[in-house]
Amino acid sequence: MDIKAVIALINQMQADGVVERYAIGGAVGATFYLEPVATLDVDIFVSFESAPGSLMVSPQRIYDYLTARGGAVEREYIVIAGWPVQFLPPGTPLVEEALQEADVKDVDGTAARVLTAEHLAAIALQTGRAKDKARLLQFVEAGVLDIARFRAILARHGLGAAWQKFEQQFLSDAS
Amino acid sequence: MSFELQKILESKRALRRDLATRPIGEKLQLLDALRERELAIRGRAAGAAQADAGVLREEPVPSAPGPNER
Repeated sequence: MDIKAVIALINQMQADGVVERYAIGGAVGATFYLEPVATLDVDIFVSFESAPGSLMVSPQRIYDYLTARGGAVEREYIVIAGWPVQFLPPGTPLVEEALQEADVKDVDGTAARVLTAEHLAAIALQTGRAKDKARLLQFVEAGVLDIARFRAILARHGLGAAWQKFEQQFLSDAS
Repeated sequence: MSFELQKILESKRALRRDLATRPIGEKLQLLDALRERELAIRGRAAGAAQADAGVLREEPVPSAPGPNER
């Protein structure tokens, strides 16, 4: 099990032109800013290229590329170096922006494109499951967010009311 | 070591801060280890559930009142 090997292979896949760009999200992405938390899979956001003559976007090229290099398809995952990896298209304008503005981080000499802390936090707010709220709280408590940037993202994507509700529910001293 | 709640909470926060500021290479290795442990725990739990399913358990017979309790 080696998550660095996953990152190296995804980099190679991008260099070989299979995906235009990628960025690590989810719990693995959050680990670049917070303490590590147990997770079972790796979420990679990618911009897919449409198949020629098709309006449908397809991850087939990714599957073909990775299975030719030892990856194994298991349901909606591809298992690489012991890690189930899920490739996700940017399903909302927020995730599209997050993918565009992802940061490049250095992992022991290997570059890794990772969603920014502010976008990860905004996506957690938008997704809104219990574990997303817990992650958003971690971001706030750790003090790693650029608050002005975070608030600008929330404003651009209509998340102001959701943030207000979250603040009242979890960050209000009065409660 | 202290049993004062405030000190306990502060030490937890300090541990989290320490983990968060470790080099990313080290944190990713921790993710590898955490996943292995999670899978081992789930495997053990699933194994225990399977073992339970194959075991016939007898409910204890309610004890009848003794002659002096009647």
